[in-house]
Amino acid sequence: MRELSAQLQPLWPLAAYFLAVLLLVLFILGVSHLLGERHRERATGEPFESGIVHIGDTHIRFSTPYFLMAILFVIFDLEAAFIYAYAISFRASGWTGYVEILVFILILLAALVYLWRLGGLDWGPKGQARKRLAPLQGHSRVLEGEAPPTRPNRE
Amino acid sequence: MTADALFSLLPLILLALTAVGLVLLIGFYRNLQLSFALAMGGLLLALVSLLPVAGVLPQQATPLLIMDSYALFFSGLTLVTALLLLPLCHEHWRRQTSLNDEFYLLFLLAVMGALVLVASNHFVSLFLGLELLSLPLVIMVGYPFKPGFTPSLEAAVKYLVLSGAASAMLLFGIALIYLHSGTLAFAPLEPGLIRLPGPQNPLLLTGLILALAGIAFKLSLVPFHFWTPDVYQGAPLPATALLATLAKGALFALLLRFYLLSEGYLIGPLVWALTLIAIASMLAGNLLALLQDNLKRLLAYSSIGHFGYLLVALLAVSQSLGTALAVEAVSYYLVAYLFSTLAAFAVLVRLSGEDREAETLEDCRGLFWRHPWLATTLTLAMLSLAGIPLTIGFVGKFYIFAAAVEESLWLVLLVVVIASGIGLFYYLRVILMMTHQDAGPESDEASAPHWSSHTVTGILVAATLWFGVYPAPLITLIRHLTLAVN
Repeated sequence: MRELSAQLQPLWPLAAYFLAVLLLVLFILGVSHLLGERHRERATGEPFESGIVHIGDTHIRFSTPYFLMAILFVIFDLEAAFIYAYAISFRASGWTGYVEILVFILILLAALVYLWRLGGLDWGPKGQARKRLAPLQGHSRVLEGEAPPTRPNRE
Repeated sequence: MTADALFSLLPLILLALTAVGLVLLIGFYRNLQLSFALAMGGLLLALVSLLPVAGVLPQQATPLLIMDSYALFFSGLTLVTALLLLPLCHEHWRRQTSLNDEFYLLFLLAVMGALVLVASNHFVSLFLGLELLSLPLVIMVGYPFKPGFTPSLEAAVKYLVLSGAASAMLLFGIALIYLHSGTLAFAPLEPGLIRLPGPQNPLLLTGLILALAGIAFKLSLVPFHFWTPDVYQGAPLPATALLATLAKGALFALLLRFYLLSEGYLIGPLVWALTLIAIASMLAGNLLALLQDNLKRLLAYSSIGHFGYLLVALLAVSQSLGTALAVEAVSYYLVAYLFSTLAAFAVLVRLSGEDREAETLEDCRGLFWRHPWLATTLTLAMLSLAGIPLTIGFVGKFYIFAAAVEESLWLVLLVVVIASGIGLFYYLRVILMMTHQDAGPESDEASAPHWSSHTVTGILVAATLWFGVYPAPLITLIRHLTLAVN
């Protein structure tokens, strides 16, 4: 028993510190509760986003094509590994190595262009980019359940 | 690597450039006709480039690839097969409404894999070529992409899983062979001045048998043949044709080179394993083909049998009598098999409609009365596969006989005779079906065939007949080119 208390002896400043923190937080919360002013204006309930009025609600559905992402990751990650191996022997392999890695990267680039042209890089539901929400001005009434206005189509 | 060695890889480089160009073309402007033209152009250029390459041979281009006249001959054969096959693919895909340009891209990649295989004298390039050949094939077997279940999807999954298992076996075998010999290059496996058949290193034998199993799977030789009929039946016709001709031909050329360079004929158990596989393939392939009424399955079993015959020629390699006759026999038989099989597939492609493929025997009923020209082509193909005189198949089979007699392989020869007799029956059954006078199904040619597939059919018929009647030029060519393999 005595040994245990002897072991705990050096730890008492930590416990005191913890207690002090707890008291300070309770004190700040209690004082601001007692002294703070209360009011209910139109925009009081809306979350504060650095002065920008928020748009839409938080339940946005992102399309994540995991299969596609996994495939693309594997392809390009593997090839990045090859380029790392080249980077180590950059000086040793000289101009021949440079030309070879250039050919390698150009073929990769062709594959990337192909993916881009086929729409392999356009993730998300089709046409979502066009229907982007417009930033709201003033009181939005979004919280009361109104649909946010959308940006007019550019085309 | 010297400039000459780099130059000797010109066919491969040209094909790679074409493939990259095709990727960009499909990305920016998707047009089936244009993609076809580009792929044909690339293959033609690669074939023509073999002429200047022939001047700098032989070249060891990097430790992995050797361009000697043996590789030159089989590169030429691969490219000619590809050039004959591609118009048939186009004939098939241009009737479909789905987007199929990528098929040509995969086709080019598979041909590149075949070219790597025939020029490989190193286990690394063997594996590289084999994967470059079989991975595009998996996707091609899965064509066309449709929502929901398709037979081709089932075939593709089967092929993917089994082919992966076979590759794993092959790799394990290669690792064990490396453990024994200490090099990945093809080299004699039994070092020493006096090489006598005797007690062998068990690890080496295990490695050899595992590697043989992996290769036998890809060649669909008998204990490893179960995937063949299902995949042949499920895959679209162009993919089946590619699987049956180009893929197997290139791999067999590689097997022959490995057998010669590693002096496998000195290793008794390996020869025994090959003998058993050959006998089983000839018998099982031909017997099971009797039961089929689907032409694709029939051709699948027939190809199993034919690769059994080819193994007989491989067995005829021996230390005492030299390798010349066996190499000649394999080369000629491969040419015969490729041309005859291609002719059969050409007819099937031409008979297929937009939504269904002509694949059953019933589709051939009365073909002589509906399409005499196509029926004649199919008849020639069947006669050539059966080995009837005046066709290229007869000369090929004659070579196999000659090689086996030279080496006194009497047991194997007896099986060849029996299997050929059985084979005659089902090949002739197809011809008989075509002569039935009652009208067959009305699934005629959906649209007028493309001129290129006309040309290909014509070339195949002419070659089958010409090299059957007058084989001397081809024999001279083969003799001239394939002697360099040792």
